[in-house]
Amino acid sequence: MTAKRSFEKNNDDQLIARARRGDERAFLELVRKYDETVYKFAFKLCRDKTSAEETMQDTFISMHRGLKSFSGRSKLSTWLYRIVSNHCLMKRRRRNVDTIMESYDEPALAAGDEKTPRWNETPADVLLKREFRKLLDKAILALPMEYRIVFTLRDLEDRSTAETAKIVGISQEAVKSRLRRARAFLRDTLHPYMSHQGTSLQ
Amino acid sequence: MNCRQAHKHICESLDEKIDSPRCRAIKKHLEECPNCRHYLKSVKKTVKLYKKLPCPDLSASSRKRLYSALKADGPS
Repeated sequence: MTAKRSFEKNNDDQLIARARRGDERAFLELVRKYDETVYKFAFKLCRDKTSAEETMQDTFISMHRGLKSFSGRSKLSTWLYRIVSNHCLMKRRRRNVDTIMESYDEPALAAGDEKTPRWNETPADVLLKREFRKLLDKAILALPMEYRIVFTLRDLEDRSTAETAKIVGISQEAVKSRLRRARAFLRDTLHPYMSHQGTSLQ
Repeated sequence: MNCRQAHKHICESLDEKIDSPRCRAIKKHLEECPNCRHYLKSVKKTVKLYKKLPCPDLSASSRKRLYSALKADGPS
């Protein structure tokens, strides 16, 4: 643990101890510290402001009621990420996702594919297009929630494989496998658009 | 290592330690295979696009509603 992280944890531990004794100001200080993180993580998972706000409220109400059972062994942020993830998993459509996602172990790549697609535009340019942002939303919303959570934690929130495993409650190997499939799924979903877009934007 | 094996590990190679034997084998394959190089580039680009996709800030009104909801939940 870095010095900064260790300081953060000590600081949180003190606030948690006070909040557990019924100090509402300490509790609110913790909420203030993490509300933006929780909201943004929820938004990245559901791509919708209203759902993100609802998830954030439910998360902090769970924290309000459950702080006494928080073991303090992990970081508070790990615990909050877990509550948000579980909340989103409960709301998801249930499907046999592993069977669907196994096909992404061997991503589609036809011979000579290299010549057709254009993955050359800069993200800044392509993201200026509202239509393209909508496509990114649509692709990530099609990704099963179990995989979306791992992709978001690892690639967008920059959490380590070990911490992601702890948050989701799976092995580090399972994190790597889900991440690999999630990236392949998103890449393959965007691929036809990237090839089309490249030629139309020349 | 052939394309099929490389594909299976390309996404993971973004996390691998750069000097691990598997990573070295992938790099060697990539040097020789333009298709796989292109594939890796497109995966990296995908991640970058999502990283740069705008995410709204928490608004003052949403924060206010959060505090009201917590207040209504009573003392912890």
